[in-house]
Amino acid sequence: MTASRLSKLFDGYLDPDRPHADAYDEMFTSDEGVRSAYRALYESIAPSEVEDLTARSEALGRAFVDQGITFSLSGQERPFPLDLIPRILTASEWTKLERGIVQRVRAMEMFLADIYGDAQIVRDGVLPRRLITSCEHFHREAAGINPPNGVRIHVSGVDLVRDEDGVFRVLEDNLRCPSGVSYVMENRRTMARVFPDLFARHRVRAVGDYAVHLLRALRNAAAPNAADPNVVVLTPGVANSAYFEHSLLARQMGVELVEGRDLFCRDNLVYLRTTEGERQVDVIYRRIDDDFLDPVHLRPDSVLGVAGLLNAARAGNVVIANAMGNGVADDKLVYTYMPEIVQYYLGEKPLLPNVDTFRCWLPEECAHVLDHLDELVVKPVEGSGGYGIVFGPYATNKELNSLRKRIKMNPRGWIAQPVVQLSTVPTKIGDRLMPRHVDLRPFAVNDGNFIFVLPGGLTRVALPKGSLVVNSSQGGGSKDTWVLAPRSSTVERELAEPGLAGPQKVAAIAAEQGPELSNSQQQQQQQQQLSHRTEEA
Amino acid sequence: MSWRVRVVHTTGYRYDLPVTQSYNEARLTPRGDRRQNVVVSRVETTPATRAYRYTDYWGTEVTSFDLHAPHVELKVVASSVVETGEENEPIRSGSWPDLKADALVDRYTEFLDWTSYVPKDKELAAVARELRKGATPADAVLAACHWVHEQLKYQPGTTGVHSSAVDAWRAREGVCQDFAHLTLVLLRAMGIPARYVSGYLHTKPDGAVRETVRGESHAWIEAWTGGWWGYDPTNAIPVGPRHIWVALGRDYADVAPLKGTYSGGSASALDVTVEVTRLA
Repeated sequence: MTASRLSKLFDGYLDPDRPHADAYDEMFTSDEGVRSAYRALYESIAPSEVEDLTARSEALGRAFVDQGITFSLSGQERPFPLDLIPRILTASEWTKLERGIVQRVRAMEMFLADIYGDAQIVRDGVLPRRLITSCEHFHREAAGINPPNGVRIHVSGVDLVRDEDGVFRVLEDNLRCPSGVSYVMENRRTMARVFPDLFARHRVRAVGDYAVHLLRALRNAAAPNAADPNVVVLTPGVANSAYFEHSLLARQMGVELVEGRDLFCRDNLVYLRTTEGERQVDVIYRRIDDDFLDPVHLRPDSVLGVAGLLNAARAGNVVIANAMGNGVADDKLVYTYMPEIVQYYLGEKPLLPNVDTFRCWLPEECAHVLDHLDELVVKPVEGSGGYGIVFGPYATNKELNSLRKRIKMNPRGWIAQPVVQLSTVPTKIGDRLMPRHVDLRPFAVNDGNFIFVLPGGLTRVALPKGSLVVNSSQGGGSKDTWVLAPRSSTVERELAEPGLAGPQKVAAIAAEQGPELSNSQQQQQQQQQLSHRTEEA
Repeated sequence: MSWRVRVVHTTGYRYDLPVTQSYNEARLTPRGDRRQNVVVSRVETTPATRAYRYTDYWGTEVTSFDLHAPHVELKVVASSVVETGEENEPIRSGSWPDLKADALVDRYTEFLDWTSYVPKDKELAAVARELRKGATPADAVLAACHWVHEQLKYQPGTTGVHSSAVDAWRAREGVCQDFAHLTLVLLRAMGIPARYVSGYLHTKPDGAVRETVRGESHAWIEAWTGGWWGYDPTNAIPVGPRHIWVALGRDYADVAPLKGTYSGGSASALDVTVEVTRLA
């Protein structure tokens, strides 16, 4: 690159020889112009010296260490890998995403209600029945369980990527127990502490009130006769990798955090054992998997769930959030039928396109996949956390041959996608800022009247050069995700009050979190949380 | 000719030590359809419980109940009066090409899929090919039922509640559950949608009115060859007025009459008795 107009920090940033040079860069246009979302940020950091950036980065690491949040990679403790350059979305970009996510959640709510009801979409021949019945997460036990306010997807996380043209596409849906929202809040809290000046120059929409929306949705989910519904958060226990998030949400909502053994069912009512006797439970925000919910119907050896829970829900006496059996809608093969599903229920075109996907269970598409294995990303329909995914271009012949066998053995189990060159955002690598690939998981909360999408979400970034794998176990990090408020709006923004450090909000959250967990505990849990994210993502 | 039959089915568990938390589901209520009319039906437990009833995915009436008072015995009595129908005639309107049509295969996909009780098996698939040669689908169903009837010896005790069709076939012995599962393997291998039916059998073909006989919990199959019709491979007889049906599904697991969980010592099954009385 010759005589770059960019600041020193970005030395060699737009090197045309970098891997995946076609990827869409979210900060710069290909001719080194700065995109409007990042203009203020660029102006703030461009004049900085390298040392200045390093100092900030260290401050960020210290802030996490102070809070006891570190991350262990290969057995080594290091500061939580939050990158100091935020990922920024403009108000108009966000509005589009928000609409698309809301549309998707609405369609999937109707889909789930239909599938666990009369299955009209199958009777009408829009979807083949075997698509549904062959889903591993299609639970016949959930048929006939009708939640009082009709909501099954109380919380969803839609994984988005941005393709070479800057178009957001849905990579997959998470409608069971999507996790990671605690990162969104923690990342923001730390960024606000280290970069109060940046927040002063931007109108960043707040993410700290997530728990308020979640609690409203959970209370709304209760049967109307429960005047003051009792909500609990059901966790598998401290050993679970996402326990930190469970406890954070329970604390912020001001509700009990319980384990399966704290609850019991009697005559189809669910009770919580407390020191003051039994207390009826109306809504369970559960963070345990479907299979463990109820030993009567599902895994008989489950000790994490509550015997009788399913029939209590069937009788309308308790609401399970998210509902059981949601996995049929986030199945990776059902995903490929999303345009048909949105069209069938809403009569609309999907606002957010999918990533083009080949379905190995259709013979023609399977043949194509087998012929082009070395160009495609092949994913198992079941499984998460990037396990079993094969990047054709990087795979050895031996790997491809074994993959070919496995696809032929079980075509229903595999889908294939072209390699999407995820968009890049500047990320601090050593003492420079380099393009690194990112994805985005926004969180949506459905309270029955309104689907709230938390303005922001979890941006994960692949730290190794050229890597398209954002999972934290593969050396992934995360970024604070800023959604800018429109200039004219009055929506709540971070650090809006005079006094840049914004004492009331940030400090209040910090104080709330103080006494409950010791540093080492938090540390541990955060690590587990991280490794858990890997499994889920 | 149709019968009116009363069925009293007594089942349950005895426990070594008092049990306090017991959650159960009973699938013991006969269903009504074109050939069977349920006059009355109830499920009672001792100790008494507050039962909750619902209809499951397969359309089966489920009685669910839980018991928290310490108990060493749980008895469930299901009694009903049912009007049963004429003998089932094989339905012959479906041809092999009809059965291969994609829409049909998709519609009955669940009754064509393999399960752990009804697994895919090469040897049995070869038998199925042999049996369907030159036969219409309906005749192939009859041939499969008769083949199973000849191959298996009715012998309680060899197979258990968890035995698959292949287990039973290897042992060449089994009970009605195994006869039904083995028939399902053959039918599904032929591409004929086939399902498991559970119910009761009046054991006397010419049952006298008002005479109470010791009946049995029974299982047979239904196959789709242009329409659903039943056949009883255990006895190699058509399903008729002596058969009272309760539930249907892909295999036994979908229709288990009584299942549940409890905390406490080990349990043994109570003696199951089925009393069947022809009323008219």
